[in-house]
Amino acid sequence: MTAHSYSAADSAAKLGRAVTPSFWSRMWTRDAPGYLFLLPWFIGFFGLTLGPMLTSLYLSFTDFDLLTSPNWVGMDNYTRIFTADPKFAASMRVTFFFVIFSVPLKLAFALAVALLLNRGMRGLPLYRAVFYLPSLLGASVAIAVLWRQLFAGDGVVNDFLAIFGIEGPSWISNPRYSLWTLIVLSIWQFGSPMIIFLAGLRQIPQDMYEAASLDGASKSRMFWKITLPLLTPVVFFNAVIQTIDAFKSFTPAFIISGGTGNPINSTLFYTLYLYQEAFGFFRMGYASALAWVLLAIVAAFTGFSFLTSKYWVHYDE
Amino acid sequence: MTSSAPRLTVVTGADDSAARWRKRALSTASHAALIIASILMLYPLLWMLSASFRPENEIFSSSTLWPSSWSLDAYVRGWNGLRVSFGTFFLNSFIIAILAIIGNLATCSLAAFAFARLEFRGRSFWFALMLGTLMLPYQVTLIPQYVLFQGLGWINTILPLVVPKFLAADAFFIFLMVQFFRGIPKELDEAAQMDGCSPWRIYWKVLLPLSTPVLATAGVFTFIWTWDDFFGPLIYLSDIRTYTVMLGLRTFVDSTAQSDWGGLFAMSSLSLLPIFLFFLFFQRLLIDGIATTGMKR
Repeated sequence: MTAHSYSAADSAAKLGRAVTPSFWSRMWTRDAPGYLFLLPWFIGFFGLTLGPMLTSLYLSFTDFDLLTSPNWVGMDNYTRIFTADPKFAASMRVTFFFVIFSVPLKLAFALAVALLLNRGMRGLPLYRAVFYLPSLLGASVAIAVLWRQLFAGDGVVNDFLAIFGIEGPSWISNPRYSLWTLIVLSIWQFGSPMIIFLAGLRQIPQDMYEAASLDGASKSRMFWKITLPLLTPVVFFNAVIQTIDAFKSFTPAFIISGGTGNPINSTLFYTLYLYQEAFGFFRMGYASALAWVLLAIVAAFTGFSFLTSKYWVHYDE
Repeated sequence: MTSSAPRLTVVTGADDSAARWRKRALSTASHAALIIASILMLYPLLWMLSASFRPENEIFSSSTLWPSSWSLDAYVRGWNGLRVSFGTFFLNSFIIAILAIIGNLATCSLAAFAFARLEFRGRSFWFALMLGTLMLPYQVTLIPQYVLFQGLGWINTILPLVVPKFLAADAFFIFLMVQFFRGIPKELDEAAQMDGCSPWRIYWKVLLPLSTPVLATAGVFTFIWTWDDFFGPLIYLSDIRTYTVMLGLRTFVDSTAQSDWGGLFAMSSLSLLPIFLFFLFFQRLLIDGIATTGMKR
């Protein structure tokens, strides 16, 4: 081991120089390679993440408009957000409604289909591929364009409903339904959490089910007592990832509403509102404050999930 | 014991056939449910594809999937539907995606190697920060980044979309690669180290050659996500000659959609084709890649 070690301490010893290497040379051999390999990441982290983050925190206390230099306005932006901005309130309602309905429904679908597929169905790879495809394509502008047509007044959905004699509304331009079309679009992409559920189900040892069935446990009992508890780490992972994604969703609402968030702000996602403020009206200071509010919400949600996770997520050992 | 045995088998035998019957019914029902679900899932895509091949007057009049006559008119109209042809948009998108793949593979694997294999002070601290950036909403860095790139004169170039990839900005791929590297036996590095290999040689000659699955997964996902990206190009590209396919589609919606649905659907279908091809050829990799992210190991 020592004979072939490549550390500087040994080669120094072999050359008959200092037997105890200096602090600096030890640091060089031990720490330098790690930091050198991380160099691109460090530049990115400080230059594109941490630096901009702090800058945007500063800008959120200013009236920056991209053209003139920023003036400090104290808490004005935040005060306005929470007390005098009906569009902020509207976009919050829309975003939370979207998250609260799309994430659980999507995960429920994903889990149900994964359970069905996990019963050793024939044709599993084919089904899995078919269900996975939409989640690869779904983020595309093309799909949002398609959705706009599907749920239009004379769209395919209403053609289908007409077969049963139902006259559907124009889903996209009716504020009661427009957000639901986006929720349906999100559920349509249940494939990627489904894949993760399937992988999680694979890891549950079969002998637990055999033991349970010898004890005469019913299928539903086995689901509640074995499958679901052992799957909670995967449920947790999927829920966190999908929720953060849902908060960040932008493209579908942008395309379906033509960038407006209409009808009557019913699809005004928070990200869309922020985009309008920043790049429509160039209220960059205000938009920075909006961004920090979003960060606070996402951080609060993530923190809350991790804190509560120890009460319902079962990690073995 | 011996006398009761035959009676028992008779009873279980009857039970068996009932159970088998129930099992078969259940399996048929499951297949039926899955097939209906599959059709519902795919119908929108197939409908769009078929609409793109229909004669213009037939797009909305007929609800069958099979067009009465096939026509490529919509593709020709759509391709040249804007001031600049979609050929330019496709080329721009491909250039951005390929550079993004190179950047992500090179720099994310360097960072992942450091996190997974090298010992240095502060490693777990930086690793935790890296994981933290996974949760960070991009809006928090958006405006200063925009100001920075504008100051550098990078607006209307592909640089704001590509340079971050060369700085390992996609923490997801670092995470994915760290997971994979940790699965490679450490004895391999130790052996190489004893033979006098530097960390760089271990990275280049030992780990990377063993990591083609994760590199391919990261490459394919980078392609798909860069190809689909709408927000970045929307902000940084305003000259139509620099547009990506997604921006081209959006412009198409705004300018001509009401009159030319056929052209719009044709270009939409075409824009999904590269992703579909990747899906077709790398399905296994994509599914395994997604599956491992949710696992602890």
